[in-house]
Amino acid sequence: MIVRLAFSAIAVGLFLLAPHALRDYQLFQLCLIAATAVIVLGLVVVTGMAGQISLAQSAFVALGSYSSAILADKCHIPLWAGIPVSAVVAAFVGFALGQATLRVAGHYLALATLAFTAIVQLILIHADHLTGGAAGMPVPGFAIGSLVLSKAGQLYYVVVPAVAAVFVMVANLLRSRFGRMLAAIRQSETAAASVGIDVLRCKAMAFAASAFLGALGGGLLAPLTSYLDPAQFGIIQAISLLAMAVIGGLRSPVGAVLGSAIFILLPDVLQHFQTYLGLVFALLLCVSIIVRPDGLASLRVNPGRSR
Amino acid sequence: MSPPVLTIDDVSVRFGGILALNSVSITVGAGAIHAIIGPNGAGKSTLINTITGIYAPSSGRIEFLGRRIDGRPAQEIARRGIGRTFQNTELFGELTAIENVMVGLSRHINYGITEGALHFGRFARSEMRARNDAMAYLAFVELADEAQSIAANLPFGKQRRLELARALATQPRLLLLDEPAAGLRPAEIAGLNEILLGLRTQQKLTIVVIDHVMALVMAISDRISVLDFGNKIAEGTPDEVRASPEVVKAYFGEGRAYAGGV
Amino acid sequence: MLLVQIIMSALTNGAIYGLIALGFVLIYKGTGVVNFGYGDQVTAGAYFALITMTFFGMQYWPAVIAAVLISVLLGMLIYGLFMWPLRNQSLLARIIATLAYGTALRELLRAYMGPNAWPFPFLLSPGAVSVGGILVVPANLAIVAAALLVLSLLYLFMERTFMGKAILATCDNRLGASLIGVRVSNVFLSIWILASVLATIAGILVAPLLTLSPDMGLIGIKGFTAAVLGGFTSLPGAVVGGLVLGLLEALAGTYVSSAFKDVFSYGILFAIILVRPQGLLGPLLVKKV
Repeated sequence: MIVRLAFSAIAVGLFLLAPHALRDYQLFQLCLIAATAVIVLGLVVVTGMAGQISLAQSAFVALGSYSSAILADKCHIPLWAGIPVSAVVAAFVGFALGQATLRVAGHYLALATLAFTAIVQLILIHADHLTGGAAGMPVPGFAIGSLVLSKAGQLYYVVVPAVAAVFVMVANLLRSRFGRMLAAIRQSETAAASVGIDVLRCKAMAFAASAFLGALGGGLLAPLTSYLDPAQFGIIQAISLLAMAVIGGLRSPVGAVLGSAIFILLPDVLQHFQTYLGLVFALLLCVSIIVRPDGLASLRVNPGRSR
Repeated sequence: MSPPVLTIDDVSVRFGGILALNSVSITVGAGAIHAIIGPNGAGKSTLINTITGIYAPSSGRIEFLGRRIDGRPAQEIARRGIGRTFQNTELFGELTAIENVMVGLSRHINYGITEGALHFGRFARSEMRARNDAMAYLAFVELADEAQSIAANLPFGKQRRLELARALATQPRLLLLDEPAAGLRPAEIAGLNEILLGLRTQQKLTIVVIDHVMALVMAISDRISVLDFGNKIAEGTPDEVRASPEVVKAYFGEGRAYAGGV
Repeated sequence: MLLVQIIMSALTNGAIYGLIALGFVLIYKGTGVVNFGYGDQVTAGAYFALITMTFFGMQYWPAVIAAVLISVLLGMLIYGLFMWPLRNQSLLARIIATLAYGTALRELLRAYMGPNAWPFPFLLSPGAVSVGGILVVPANLAIVAAALLVLSLLYLFMERTFMGKAILATCDNRLGASLIGVRVSNVFLSIWILASVLATIAGILVAPLLTLSPDMGLIGIKGFTAAVLGGFTSLPGAVVGGLVLGLLEALAGTYVSSAFKDVFSYGILFAIILVRPQGLLGPLLVKKV
């Protein structure tokens, strides 16, 4: 208990100190990492914990980004309200998608989520009047009353606490009976059903959670990037998000932060070798899946003890 | 006489062209230990899987505590009060022993998502109670000292006991055990017998056991049903079944004298 | 005659989808893995040919042969680095592995060959030729012919030769096969190599039509759809599925809009998976407990 308070105090301290110690660009990256981490956290929940592969995450990010931007732009609903609303709507969509597709497992689920992402992206590209089509749309500023937050240094005070709060809640849930149920489903659906767990509904809930987190992250990313381009919400991005989760560690919330940080900071690390950015990231993914196929930090599960 | 706990009425199960169970009827009385035996491929596991809802019967009905359960989803049947173990242990391998049992307790833990997210309200108390209950179940199967061990790392005999503890944690009215004695040493079988007899006497649990191992079946069963090639070929008390010519033929083929004691 | 034109272009696309679907189904039937990196293998195959033509000055056919040889090596590499080490891991891990090496291939090509499109030579003339009043493109005909040829050869090999049947038998019953002395890993390796070669052939045929870029692999999804349509377990089914998809797409494109065409084919994939999961997965879903 004391330890927890101490950690919290240190975290709050660092949070308040950072804007004075870091340059605006670094704060911007911090916010990007935070927003991306929430999105990847969604994959930690649905793929890492519940064991359901999801290539639909970029579709949910798109839903969150575009919905909140459109609500702000066309309905004059400020982002601080529009983002949570979009996230909740996305959760319902995710639940429905889950109920529909989670009867099928493994490969077929991957394909269905892939198709979903492709369809959503195509809709974004062709619904010109609403989304600006292939050219994209600008994102209105983050307004709180008459105050508009536009610089990273300002958005920082919204994005980071929101993300931190979400992380704490999700981590708590994963350590509760809900997390245990997901872990049980991942390891043996048959056994989970035999103790009375409604497997399909739980998986759909996990999907809904991933959709919520994806849309929330998307909504937070929107004012940061200030422009939405449908090309950013496709299958390749969905694979990248999954890659971040795998590289950081599929099974833990910390992994989401780690994977996102690596992704966002890699361009800086690579400096003059920018052309190799995608390749380095891809190789990291390959190494991660070969060395840690079960997503844990520990070594491989004994052969024969799979699933 | 109290009404039967489980009634399997003229049940047939067909997989494509294969008739796995053919018009099987078995009645299991309250508080009984009822064994189902038969050579390999007789349909015993198919029967247990059909009762628990993994398969739906092609024809016939199954009633549990007076209500039909055939064709219902597996988790609904489990919630109605049927617990089971599996022939190939289906443990949650990466979880610890106590966590496995706590999953079995899931439905009886009563806090919601908000409390789970913020760890307030009923969370701490419910988790504590769940932990204590789980320890009690583990103690019952003599696995208390393995509570923190990873399930996949436990030796085979202990994994079997863990599965039993997890099934008991669901507080079932009927317990179905699929080859619980397979691979156990004689001393472990004797221990298992004691546990099952204890469950019947103290918890008034009705138990259906599928097994080959006669040291268990003959020792503790009240009634035995014998399956062969999907048909029920004999039923009765252990002595009656032991002496039945159909049973001898099924296990040993024609023309072999049976010298008692398997 | 519009309908005939539609059918001609549908046939071409359909043949491509069918060829790619063949590779999927082969690996799936053979090793139980759905290969999400396959589209990228198709792209890589085309790039192999391009590189030998452009940087080593080879003519078309020698380049094709070189590309096929390289793809044999690639197949071995993929199997040795990813599929064999992960053979006992969860399905999820194996799916991620195929996504991983597919991404790696794609990014490798992007880094060393640039993100932009490269022109790629046609097998036969891309110019339209009038045959009895119908415009026919020899290049497209070549694609259809190649797809049918590959299918026939594959079918003959798998169903009629001893080795092919042995491969199918091994895939059906690993334990049985290994008990009689068959090296299961060798069988799987052969399948991956075969599929890799198929991918290269498909790539070389497809590249001129689609223009060759690192992201060409997204065509793989059309291949998936074709395979799913065809039932995912039969080789002829894969080609039939491809042709059906090509036709449906062409019809949707002509009578609705060409934008709708893509939404339509992804929609088909989505709908099929939802509507017939039990039917397609029947044997897979029933787990022995």
